[in-house]
Amino acid sequence: MAVILLIGLIGVAPPTHVRAYDTPDDGGGSIMVEWHLSQDDAILDGYEIYRSNDGDVYEKVGFIGRNRTRYEDSNTEDGENYFYKVVALKDTLKMYSQASQPVMSSPQWFDLPKLNILIACVIFGGLILYFVYHARKGKELYIRKIAGLQAIDDAVGRATEMGKPILYTTGTGLIGDIATIASLNILGEIAKKCARYDTQLINPHLDPIVYTVAREVVKESYTQVGRPDAFDPDSVYFITDLQFAYAAAVSGIMVREKPATNFLIGWFMAESLILAETGASTGAIQIAGTDRVPQLPFFITACDYTLIGEELYAASAYISKEPLLLGAIKGEDLGKLIIGAALIAGSIIGLLTKLPILNLFK
Amino acid sequence: MKKGLPLILVFICGILGIIQYFAPHPVVQDTDNFFRNNLLKILAAFALVLGLGSLLKVHMDKIKRKRENWQYSWVLIIVFIITSIIGLFGGVTGEGPLPTRIGSFSFDNQTIYDNVIVPLGSTMFALLAFFMASAAYRAFRARSTEATLLLASAFIVMLGVLPLGDRISPHLPSFAQWIMDVPNVAGQRGILIGVAFGILATALKIILGIERSWLGGGGE
Amino acid sequence: MNISLDPWIWISALLTVSIFSFLYRDNPFYRFAEHIFVGVANGWAVTFYWHNILVPSLFDPLFRRGQLLLIIPFIIGILYLTRFIPRVSWLVRIPIGITMGYYVGASIPADVQAYIIKQTQGTILTSQNFQAWNAGNMGVVWSIILFVGVICTLSYFYFSKEHKGVLGITSRIGIIFVMIGFGAAFGYTVMARISLLIGRLQFLLGDWLGVIH
Repeated sequence: MAVILLIGLIGVAPPTHVRAYDTPDDGGGSIMVEWHLSQDDAILDGYEIYRSNDGDVYEKVGFIGRNRTRYEDSNTEDGENYFYKVVALKDTLKMYSQASQPVMSSPQWFDLPKLNILIACVIFGGLILYFVYHARKGKELYIRKIAGLQAIDDAVGRATEMGKPILYTTGTGLIGDIATIASLNILGEIAKKCARYDTQLINPHLDPIVYTVAREVVKESYTQVGRPDAFDPDSVYFITDLQFAYAAAVSGIMVREKPATNFLIGWFMAESLILAETGASTGAIQIAGTDRVPQLPFFITACDYTLIGEELYAASAYISKEPLLLGAIKGEDLGKLIIGAALIAGSIIGLLTKLPILNLFK
Repeated sequence: MKKGLPLILVFICGILGIIQYFAPHPVVQDTDNFFRNNLLKILAAFALVLGLGSLLKVHMDKIKRKRENWQYSWVLIIVFIITSIIGLFGGVTGEGPLPTRIGSFSFDNQTIYDNVIVPLGSTMFALLAFFMASAAYRAFRARSTEATLLLASAFIVMLGVLPLGDRISPHLPSFAQWIMDVPNVAGQRGILIGVAFGILATALKIILGIERSWLGGGGE
Repeated sequence: MNISLDPWIWISALLTVSIFSFLYRDNPFYRFAEHIFVGVANGWAVTFYWHNILVPSLFDPLFRRGQLLLIIPFIIGILYLTRFIPRVSWLVRIPIGITMGYYVGASIPADVQAYIIKQTQGTILTSQNFQAWNAGNMGVVWSIILFVGVICTLSYFYFSKEHKGVLGITSRIGIIFVMIGFGAAFGYTVMARISLLIGRLQFLLGDWLGVIH
């Protein structure tokens, strides 16, 4: 009671050092206001933030609880001057701070905290391109054996001998999923083998755009091996863009057409196991591959060979043996070495010094 | 021209796609918004026409040539046409000019979705309960070191998340959690870092026109 | 027993049973349900794209509100249809190139951030990461195991050298981590899938046949 009476008599201290500045790294329309706490912060209700265009008439733009020293006014007009005052509030009692210097909000062209990502993109991208360029000069590059890919020839051969088709699905990814693009590259190589051995290819799709691209890719493969007439336009077709309807239809194809080999390569969700188990039950050889970590366990258990993660991306280079693609793998490997080195160096620095090493990787 | 123009477009759009990540400026963000919410969605809608054309052609052929199971192609085509007509002219929830109600029986697009697509989809999804069992058995029969490790860890984690696990040993749930948090995360991270490099390389090759099989053949 | 009289419940139930029958073997009921599924899904897609995209994002603003800029997506979209005209079918590459280019470009920084930068940050050995486990002194041990696991797994994906010697050992350890992780993910998913199955059985026995509540 006495305290309240005292406050009533002498008031509360206002916040001090009010500073307003354009919110950094944003698209504009926002100003940051900072202040030093009122000396009476402990008994306050909080702080009210007032804004003015001319430094004369102020209007309230926000409220924030006590023990806080920062407020973002995200409702400003870019290019207009604003003054700010912060008010210490206790019941009906208000104590105004001094006005801030005038400030303008503006949009930025670059989000500075993302600089590390840009640098990483440039370094790793540059490495890959450097090796791609060098590969053009025809230097022989070694790639370790990848089990699933070595099996491809056998798998296609088996289908040819048995006179049965090969099923290739790129999964349920869209054209923007890089795994889908990697899968289309592998499809191109497998289509060439099908064209050479005159093996029937079945290639059903979920995304109309992926279907359109796949058709061109397969057609081109048949042309490249000199058998454009053998290309059956109906071998590449669209089914539906609904995940489980697609899974139902492809499962149906698996049990009815009984392909000798199923390729499940690309971007998958829960349908991965539906397809892989149905395929396994028909006795087909199954070669799967995806970069979707949650689906990999199911492919591993139900398929004969599984391309894990990056192996999917290395695959098209591996099969085609094209120096350009092989060069990229060399660049990727060097990138991984750098990451390994960064992990070790970062840990040494992190353990031996107090430097905020983790901030580099925000 | 026939290949040059598409390659230039891929390059320009690729660079735009990269820039939107780094530039908060409204000029860039509004362009991004236009791409994602207008342009690319509209393009996808037109692409569907190609997809449907392909689907219908395959099934018409099947009917014409009386291939095995051709009767079901009729089912597909008829159902497709009916649902499309109901959806296009009856509206999503029956607000269109075409009546989608006979007495108390309504058959608007949303009702069809709820009573055909949803149960069919969730039943396909539910098949996984059986497929997981058969896949586990397949791994069991494989008898390789990898498969054994996989099954053992699967078994522990499965028991760990069940109430039963706690009764077998009070340490089991926390051990299962440890497997999820430590070895599982380590394996995932290693895979993901590798994947990022694969993605980066593939994406760069597409944007820079090094990888151009997507163009198909014909015409320079 | 309190069998449902709602025709839609009957349709859903018969379709559900038809899909389940696939577990036994392929049969006419499954084939029927499958073709209905694909047909309805496509009919629904037509409706969706028309009512939710083409009309509100293209035709209404372009033709009714005069937003002439939208003529560009309209024309580019139509280029897809040139696929049916052999002489100009190459134009189909334009909308494909735009779509693919934009998504592919956007994925580069996003994936580098999510898969490289963030994963590296979580793996580096620092006291901050030790404490993140909330496991007291064991946090150090867990962090070290995690660190070794990540490096070894990464070495498995080293392609340009044969996996012999040190690389042979580390990649072998890496694949052990990977398999334990896959097992964990597998085991963790089992219950979720069983509950989906229970959901369908509840529909059949409850909503349809009315033998359970």
